[in-house]
Amino acid sequence: MGKLLSALAIGIIGAGIVHIVILFLLPSVAENGPWQRLDAAAGHYTFVSVNRADGAASPTIRPIHPFFYEAACRFDLRDGVVHIHAPGRVPFWSMSVYDKSGENIYSLTDRTATDGDLDLVIATPAQLIEVKKDIPTDFEKSIFVETDTGKGIALVRSFVPDDSWAPGMDRYMKSLVCQSG
Amino acid sequence: MFRNLLLTLLTFCIAIGGGAASVWYALDADDGFDALHVGAWTAFPDLGTTKASPYAKAAAARDGVLALGHAEGIRFIASRDSAGRPLSVACTYRVAGNTPPARFWTLFPADPHSLMPLKAKPGLPGKLQSWAVLRQPDGSFAVTVGPHPAPGNWLAINGGGGMTLALTLYDTPAATSSEVGSLELPRIKRVGCDG
Repeated sequence: MGKLLSALAIGIIGAGIVHIVILFLLPSVAENGPWQRLDAAAGHYTFVSVNRADGAASPTIRPIHPFFYEAACRFDLRDGVVHIHAPGRVPFWSMSVYDKSGENIYSLTDRTATDGDLDLVIATPAQLIEVKKDIPTDFEKSIFVETDTGKGIALVRSFVPDDSWAPGMDRYMKSLVCQSG
Repeated sequence: MFRNLLLTLLTFCIAIGGGAASVWYALDADDGFDALHVGAWTAFPDLGTTKASPYAKAAAARDGVLALGHAEGIRFIASRDSAGRPLSVACTYRVAGNTPPARFWTLFPADPHSLMPLKAKPGLPGKLQSWAVLRQPDGSFAVTVGPHPAPGNWLAINGGGGMTLALTLYDTPAATSSEVGSLELPRIKRVGCDG
């Protein structure tokens, strides 16, 4: 009886340890995370549509924002800085930068941007020092985002107030550029 | 000898099974440590940020969610009406009041588990955004959420089972404000139920 009780007690303590281990390991080993889902859809530096307001595209990321078109692009800062831009104006856009595990590390809206244009450069602190020594003409109006995350995801969300906006917003999302260097 | 083996096996079963099951249960629980309650509404302002609890981080990784950033906005979820009764798609609700300042907001009925928007029948309004909402002279609004057509702002629901309402404020100081608990959000009043 004593042995059984001690076995139960050790089991419960073990369950606590397993609980904590799983909890902290899950983000790094999850096979169903945003990064892995995007990996299955496209390579780096390609914008993938993850949400169309009409739900037409097969969702890689749960589309929980009706009225929005969303597109995501994966990048790796070891290849150099990332430049994300799109021509034209839309009623509202917002953008988030996530690290590989899907944690939000930076977000902004069109109110923050120069003239409301989407034009953003993501770089590590070291790369940013290099870039700022002699800012290329391409980056003149860009917002600089400093992060040392290495691999990450940039997600652009664009508001579609009603269906009459859909064709124009579709063109806007297709014109998004995500390029390295 | 055999008994010792059996006891060791039992210990391992409890440890691994209990540990895994308790994590799964904790991740599915509605009420995370980071939850913020405003009336019937709940938000998770730290969801998907470095400040999130380990439970929120693990849940986000498991479900493949990319959460809204603080600059982008904040989402409030209601799974009960203002009287505390669970929301059902067979009932009619009146969502009335004001929202905190925001560029715009969206409101839609969603599945209580996946939080995916519920599909309305073709041609019926299944989602609403604030630029198209009809307002009272004082700027407040009222939305009828129910299976039967209603004048004014109407969100159509159909079928059976539970639902949640998702109210997302975009580009709002409410997402970063420290006084987020004193926000004013619309009240959800049950008008009646079918059947």
